[in-house]
Amino acid sequence: MKISDFTKIQKVLGAGLASEDGFIIEGQARFEYDMEKLSAISARVAGRIKNSLNVKKASAIIYTQDNVLFLRDSSEGIVFVICQKDANVGLVKIRLDRLP
Amino acid sequence: MSDELRVDSGALIFATLADVYISSGMIDEAISILKDGLTRNPNYHLARIILGRAYYLKSEPEEAIKTIESVYDEIKNSEIANLYLGHSYRDLAQKEKARTYYETALKINPENMEALKELEKLIPDFAPPPKVERVQPAEPAKKVVDDVAIPLPEDVTVEPMAPSEEKEAAAIEKEGEVISAEQEPSLEQGEPVVQSVRPPVEEERAEEIVSIESVIQEIPEKEIKTEAVPLEALDKPMKRLLDLDTVKGVFISTKDGLLIKNYGNGAQDIEAICASVAAICMDVDESFRLLKRGGLTRCIVEKPDETLCVMAVGDSLLTVVTQVEAKPGLVFVYARKIIEEIEEILG
Repeated sequence: MKISDFTKIQKVLGAGLASEDGFIIEGQARFEYDMEKLSAISARVAGRIKNSLNVKKASAIIYTQDNVLFLRDSSEGIVFVICQKDANVGLVKIRLDRLP
Repeated sequence: MSDELRVDSGALIFATLADVYISSGMIDEAISILKDGLTRNPNYHLARIILGRAYYLKSEPEEAIKTIESVYDEIKNSEIANLYLGHSYRDLAQKEKARTYYETALKINPENMEALKELEKLIPDFAPPPKVERVQPAEPAKKVVDDVAIPLPEDVTVEPMAPSEEKEAAAIEKEGEVISAEQEPSLEQGEPVVQSVRPPVEEERAEEIVSIESVIQEIPEKEIKTEAVPLEALDKPMKRLLDLDTVKGVFISTKDGLLIKNYGNGAQDIEAICASVAAICMDVDESFRLLKRGGLTRCIVEKPDETLCVMAVGDSLLTVVTQVEAKPGLVFVYARKIIEEIEEILG
């Protein structure tokens, strides 16, 4: 699975892979998105979910007023995808579910 | 002295002076000054009331009636005018008319002891009306009375008055004010008259009290309906969510993690989950605001055994705990329908 598989989806603004401590491992952004910030945010939220809910792998879909952020723990790190709020969220989720 | 009055024809000091004369038993002088003053100020009704009283005290009840009744329409709310009309008619043995005026005086001031006594004499089985608490004149009104005191001309020499009399006499100058017989000693002919003047505000308030009481009596008591406790009103919309097969439980919490209400048996330690969900939402909210991408509206957190669908509802969070196989889209569709109701209930 490549990061570019996500960015090809319509209205996906960017996708990336972050380490648990928030550093960006890999990232692609279509527009002016700061992927380093997004990776830090993703790692922070994933860490919070794991600690608070006592789960080994975090998985969340976060809707904000303008965007939707996907984050998921994978074997390689935390995968995050950001898209417009009217993007095909279901399709992004299916792609994320295929992650090992 | 009279020259001085003639020079200042607009001055209404003659009423004050006449009142002082009456207090000193100089009734003829008082009548002379009042008649003279009224020719120059015919619309000064207070002076006419004082003149009527002077006639009454001079044992001329017909003149008293004629003087006061000539302007009665304008002064019908005057307690003192009604009282002296009552006295005058009583002296003329016209008991019915006397009674009417005493009753009017009592309506204006139910504590007018003089009118009460006269009515008791006229009607042996007369029962005094229930006492109405008198409203004390407001401080500013009292001040106005003090302020309107007009100094007498230097060449006017009058007998010294008691401090209360001084104040009252000065207050007469304010046209439109109503003389009260409250605390007035028994008015026998020839006796010096001590009068008190109250601002019209007091009488108006007394009338207001009486009318308010009568209105209160007329208003039928309505049965007070107690509305359902707001949180209980949440039960109905929540039940619709709980009716979904895959929904394990629903709870509402504040954004800072305090449980408002829990529905269903989705989780054992619901308060811990509330706090956790709130912490996640706060983190997300804060992070996205730093990015200037707006705050959190909803989120889905997937756990191995269940899924949490969280929605921001005003200042609260609505969390739906579902089975893993649940369709989050369906949950959100149902939740969106009830969010408005929840917002309305929670304010």
